[in-house]
Amino acid sequence: MKSPWRTAMIGAPVLALLFVFFVLPYGEMVAMSFRAPASGAPYGDAWTLANYGKVIGDPFFLEVLSRTLALGALITGLTLALSYPIAMHLARVSDRWHVVFYAFVVSPLLVGVLVRNFGWMIVVSFQGPLNQLLLSLGVIDHPLRLLFNVSIVVVALVHVFVPFMVLPIANALRAVEPALYDASASLGARSWETFFRVTLPLSLPGVLAGVILVFVLSISAFVTPVLLGGQTVMMMSIMIIQQLIGVFAWPFGAALAISMSVTSIAIIVALTLIARPLTRRTARWS
Amino acid sequence: MRGPFHYLAGLGLALLYGFLLLPLVVVALASFSGGEVLRFPPEGFSLKWYARFFANDSFLAALMLSLRLALISAVAVSVLATLAALFYRQLPWRWREPFRVLVLMPLLLPEILTAIGLLFFLYRVGLGSSALGLQIGHIVVTLPFAFLSVLASLQQIEPALEEASASLGAGPLATFGRVVWPLIRPGIFTGALFAFIVSFDMFTMSFLLKPVGGNTLPLAVFDYLKYDFDPMAAAAATLSVGFALVVVVLVEKTVGLRRAF
Repeated sequence: MKSPWRTAMIGAPVLALLFVFFVLPYGEMVAMSFRAPASGAPYGDAWTLANYGKVIGDPFFLEVLSRTLALGALITGLTLALSYPIAMHLARVSDRWHVVFYAFVVSPLLVGVLVRNFGWMIVVSFQGPLNQLLLSLGVIDHPLRLLFNVSIVVVALVHVFVPFMVLPIANALRAVEPALYDASASLGARSWETFFRVTLPLSLPGVLAGVILVFVLSISAFVTPVLLGGQTVMMMSIMIIQQLIGVFAWPFGAALAISMSVTSIAIIVALTLIARPLTRRTARWS
Repeated sequence: MRGPFHYLAGLGLALLYGFLLLPLVVVALASFSGGEVLRFPPEGFSLKWYARFFANDSFLAALMLSLRLALISAVAVSVLATLAALFYRQLPWRWREPFRVLVLMPLLLPEILTAIGLLFFLYRVGLGSSALGLQIGHIVVTLPFAFLSVLASLQQIEPALEEASASLGAGPLATFGRVVWPLIRPGIFTGALFAFIVSFDMFTMSFLLKPVGGNTLPLAVFDYLKYDFDPMAAAAATLSVGFALVVVVLVEKTVGLRRAF
């Protein structure tokens, strides 16, 4: 029944598509980063290491890279802090209400990032709800200019990434045996002890998955910093796209993109190695 | 236990869910504004911004391109994802995980990197700035969503069902058509819907690969927002919110309906 030919034919279209339009393009990007720049064309024929020399040698690019990574860490931390209570609630909510709260978390995911950013633009605009609220409370006496700075970019990105963090943590929490909570309580643990010694350790695999996902997404974010940061927030992705589309320096843009990817992969590997002993301890229980 | 702390926690949760929904609600409210500028609370109710949206040629052309991209992606990706999921099940155990990771790669890697690679590659093979190139990019990125959905429904099928079908004399094609296909159809449908919505909202890929003179709706809204800040953009954005709501309801209904049997 399982003839190898039939199996190969079923797999061929997907493998071909991914090889040609996914694997080869990434290879092309690596190759591009070693190309020489040219004038009048996106890239030249010669090969060179100069693009990486330019990335490492210029303090400006290193500064943008480190600022992007720091911003990514901040956004990931804030997202985790907001997502954990939602995930705990989502994992424990009764079946009847489950659909509603699940829809609350998932529906922002289904609406494009651009729309959600636009929502924040309206919220913080001069005549927007936030300024109106602060004015009516008497906290301020004239509308504040809240758009086009780092803070609103961080708020909007945290908003975009909360569902990505909530879902893996909620899944990890849902897999926990409820009996463990009862056991902890009946052994005399207070609720905060149960949280720190049962709930939190058992959710660590989900936390790690969410943290990695959100960190990767936040350092590669493009629309939000452009739209809400105006000219004030420079991040790696904006700089890369300026090189590619603005000045047509494809080899240098590719070198920037690969430097960013390598740095973020190194951080993720380090994070996973640090978290491994912690997650291994809890693996026996889930 | 149910002291003031309980109510405080409830208030905190309400604030968190409010934070999630606030921008969506605000966009939708703004699009029905009767005034000439975006302000809160909106001045009266009207549909005039929708009328202006549908009378605007560049928005309308962008909407058409986005719909076409999303529709073709949804159809192409349902076929590809179904084949990929069937292939996954026929693979020997040790090859399954590597194959799954390969198909999910476009979801795991940042869209901006995939788009940059495709920008270079498509230029090299002569498809730079073409509608076909953009379509291919949308298919690559939406494939993992459909694959996850089809695979989930395929893995719920009892292997005994297919064995029974085979032992009753049905060939592989008959078994697929009469046993597997009816059972995974909701999964394929859900996957196609996700692919549609992800393609319809895709920004970075479209930004880098956009064909000459062709704007997708998110790109058109983006361009518009850079210069104008009025409820017309909100009307365009609310269409996207509306699509998302329709998808939520459809998924809930189909998967729910199937579960009843």
